[in-house]
Amino acid sequence: MSSNLDAGPAEQPQSAVERLHVAGLHAPTDAVLSVRDLHVRFNTENGVVHAVRGVDFDLLPGKTLGIVGESGSGKSVTSLAIMGLLPTTAEISGSVRLKGKELLGLTDKAMCEYRGNELAMVFQDPLSSLTPVYTVGTQIVEALTIHNPTMSKQAKEARAVELLAMVGIPSPKDRLRAFPHEFSGGMRQRVMIAIAIANNPRVLIADEPTTALDVTIQAQVLEVLHTAQEETGAAVVMITHDLGVVAGMADDIMVMYAGKPVETGAVDDIYYNPRMPYTMGLLGAVPRVDVAEKSSLIPIEGMPPNLIHTPTGCSFAPRCPLASDACLDGEPPLAPVPGSTLHHAACIKSGALGGEVDVHDVFSAPPVPVSRFDAIPRGERAVVLQLKDVRKHFPLSKGALLKRRIGTVKAVDGVTFDIREGECFSIVGESGSGKTTTLLEIMEFHKDQDGEVVIGGISNKQAADARTKAAMRRELQMVFQDPTGALDPRFTVYEVLAEPLQNAGMDKQAIKKRIMELMKLVGLQPDHVNRFPNQFSGGQRQRVGIARALAVNPKLVVLDEPVSALDVSVQAGVINLLDKLRAELGLSYLMVAHDLSVVRHISNRVAVMYLGKIVEIGEVDRVFDNPRHPYTRALLSAIPVPDPHVEQTRERIILRGDLPSPLDAPKGCNFATRCPVFAALPPAKQEKCLTLEPPLEPVAPSAAAQALAAHALPVLDQRFACFFPDGELDEDMLVVHESADHHAP
Amino acid sequence: MTNLNAVDPAAVAQDAHLENADVIIGKNTIIFRRFMRNKTAVAGLAIFLALTVFSFVGGYFTQWDKETIDPFNIGMPPSAEHYLGTSQAGIDLYAMTVEGTRISILIGLIVGLVSVLIAAVYGCTMAYFGGKVDKVMLFILEALIMMPALLVVAVATSGGGEGLKRDLPSWLLLIIVLLVFSWMGTARLIRSLSMSLMQRDYVKAAQYMGVPPRRIVWRHLVPNIGSLLVLDITRGVTGAVLAEVAFSFIGIGIKVPDVSLGVLIGGATSQVQTFPWMFWVPLTVMFLLTGSLAMMNDGLRDAFDPSSSSSGSAKNRRALKSRAKGKSS
Repeated sequence: MSSNLDAGPAEQPQSAVERLHVAGLHAPTDAVLSVRDLHVRFNTENGVVHAVRGVDFDLLPGKTLGIVGESGSGKSVTSLAIMGLLPTTAEISGSVRLKGKELLGLTDKAMCEYRGNELAMVFQDPLSSLTPVYTVGTQIVEALTIHNPTMSKQAKEARAVELLAMVGIPSPKDRLRAFPHEFSGGMRQRVMIAIAIANNPRVLIADEPTTALDVTIQAQVLEVLHTAQEETGAAVVMITHDLGVVAGMADDIMVMYAGKPVETGAVDDIYYNPRMPYTMGLLGAVPRVDVAEKSSLIPIEGMPPNLIHTPTGCSFAPRCPLASDACLDGEPPLAPVPGSTLHHAACIKSGALGGEVDVHDVFSAPPVPVSRFDAIPRGERAVVLQLKDVRKHFPLSKGALLKRRIGTVKAVDGVTFDIREGECFSIVGESGSGKTTTLLEIMEFHKDQDGEVVIGGISNKQAADARTKAAMRRELQMVFQDPTGALDPRFTVYEVLAEPLQNAGMDKQAIKKRIMELMKLVGLQPDHVNRFPNQFSGGQRQRVGIARALAVNPKLVVLDEPVSALDVSVQAGVINLLDKLRAELGLSYLMVAHDLSVVRHISNRVAVMYLGKIVEIGEVDRVFDNPRHPYTRALLSAIPVPDPHVEQTRERIILRGDLPSPLDAPKGCNFATRCPVFAALPPAKQEKCLTLEPPLEPVAPSAAAQALAAHALPVLDQRFACFFPDGELDEDMLVVHESADHHAP
Repeated sequence: MTNLNAVDPAAVAQDAHLENADVIIGKNTIIFRRFMRNKTAVAGLAIFLALTVFSFVGGYFTQWDKETIDPFNIGMPPSAEHYLGTSQAGIDLYAMTVEGTRISILIGLIVGLVSVLIAAVYGCTMAYFGGKVDKVMLFILEALIMMPALLVVAVATSGGGEGLKRDLPSWLLLIIVLLVFSWMGTARLIRSLSMSLMQRDYVKAAQYMGVPPRRIVWRHLVPNIGSLLVLDITRGVTGAVLAEVAFSFIGIGIKVPDVSLGVLIGGATSQVQTFPWMFWVPLTVMFLLTGSLAMMNDGLRDAFDPSSSSSGSAKNRRALKSRAKGKSS
């Protein structure tokens, strides 16, 4: 077999496990799930990939284990191995015991006894994990029928209703007969959780359960997971790359790198006292939504190692700023950190890393770049982009033969803003709020649009002939969300970058020179131009995308979720690059993002959109520190913060339901249906919200501030659209997790 | 921000890593390897190549040709002089088979290749422009699908088109008619595939850069449906060979004095009892031809399919290497 591949305990898997038993390491504890020395290997075109290399953990009932790591670190493979869902070509060794019973080596049929019964899983993509042709009720009942053949039909139905109610689906009885497409993404994920907990599982594995969802929905779903765990007393394995998500939920954290756990411990140990440079880097790479101070993020350079070759030294050493020769000499084992029994780290320097070591010093974070425009007041800078009352309405028609119009979807409804030289303007909001449509309207740029778009002094109304358009295209370029999809897989980097230049009519020699410049500018090696996109990592691909956008020297770059498809460590590098380019080249950015932490880090101004309208706009620190509109407050409170103490004590506004369909948008204030302030208002005031549309008005300085100031205060750069910004919040929508209920033994 | 440009050890290590030939394998190499791993497909390819070579050089191994009548050997079974026997008219069957195979392969290859090319350009254009252009082109396509191909072939090759018949050899005429009726299905498939490609960000990126539509279709769309095109070519070749055989069999395809496998099979059906070799030889060749293509197609599908279960053989190779090492040391 592959015995020559790995030295050490896995050499004869069977005997290794037996040895562990004898040594008492596998002693019967009260753990529901205990994993020992789990190894997974895949046979690929390039060779044998050793995807998981020795994972051990014990999961106690009612506890939550967070598994954190970059993509490719083996998190998901571990969970699939436990569930027995890996393809038969995978080679698994080690031991997985559920309540003392060995699961590895069971046939698929035998595993079915456990799957969905005692072991349940929630997958990442709720859109594809429900069968579209069966009703939601059928699918829940199916899960019940399989493991409870004797249950009566009525009992099953009653249980399904109970489950749907438990995960917070309104009018569950009627919704049983609904099909998956009638639910939104967040609702489908709730249904998935309902199916997973249908048989009161002992262990619930959640593989990135909220990654595909909006922040507000993410907060709802995490809440549901929390209740589900309380109701069933199940142990939860939470797999995620987002350190914020697990901070509030997990009891223990396992950080994985290159298929191996590199640091394990209680949640506080990991967040406040990390002892492995990789964990420190991960924590430093995440921008914080609650911190205004501007400091560069910490990128972890390089890529995770290729697991075809067995690492000879510490697998993180090539990327580690602290690596020394000693690190290359054998892989460090997971050893207890001095002064703690539960906290383990796989680093030979873990002893020296405790206490006051600052991550910024360890990883030598780059200095904060300063743009030449930063010193000039905003009002004196030239306008790069101006939108005046831009609208995009889609007619909605019904009927197969005779189409009749039944309504209008107001995707963008009267958006006005401007962007000045050298500034970054961001639009945030849930999906469906119209941010991307706004971008597309700007990119389309033609005469028949409703509203005026002025790019670098060229208006879409004046002339839209080919020449003006070409001039416009040189002013404005775009960077896409998915770096893989945005690059033609059959083009080399050279061809990708040459396309806009050829189009601009440059000659060959000039193109070559410019491409070399661009490669250096975005921090890629110039000799990589002959490579294909699939030979780069995600972050490098996004750099190529940025280089392509910069090729024709635009003034304004439109960024459509530029980092949401990247790993945190890589994301930090790209954000730093964008920041640097803005400063060095005097670029302006128009960014659309759903990650408010990234927005706060990089933007100067921000607009919050809801159902096609801007509800709050202004300087980023003002809006984030002093949000006036209830929607902004809800958005901000929904963002998880990578800080367990903050996370467990802070107040959260959990919005009810999803974005209403634009069809039945309320007449008055759009947000009234979900508004926490509206819900607490007396009926007389509610009337105003329902009938009148609140205008976008500047924030008036508070009375106290006005009294203090001798002369008139300058108008603050923050405007919002709400009648009762100071109204009380509805108590039902506020959730506070007491740290006590979480850490109770 | 100097550390972005500085050559840091991580980047160098990663570089060495990428340069390491083992890590990145070109897509074509992977496809080739996967194809070669499928023994049936390789056998199919070998048979097909052998048949093609045979059809071109086979004529040199005999002194007879498809027109010369041997008055001393009429309707003779295979012998030393006539390897595969002769027909009722005394024409050497071997010579006719060589000639027929060549015509059949020629028709198959030309129709297979050209129809896929037409389909690719037509389908991509439809998908790219959408709207009215799409509607009109789709209408033309549907109309062609509805048309009774059999009747048109019959009319073009026998009844009408006397002038055409005089100017063109019958095989060329058949190729044209087959071409007209063979690309529609593929074009529809390509249209839907390109429509999904149109949603890709790189097409949007090119549009936002102001790249003209013609360039986008040719540079971004066509190459990206390449794997489908290759599959469709082998399928198209099989289809064309079978269509030729079928049309010639019922007497509306290739006309004597031109020979093809279909003509040979068709002519010999009434004499299976008396001259069995006249029937079985061309039939076997036809089976070898279409069969080898089908075998190849199966392997190609496996090779192109990214979700294919054809997993690497690295383990075996490595095991072999280590065993060899063990022996030598």
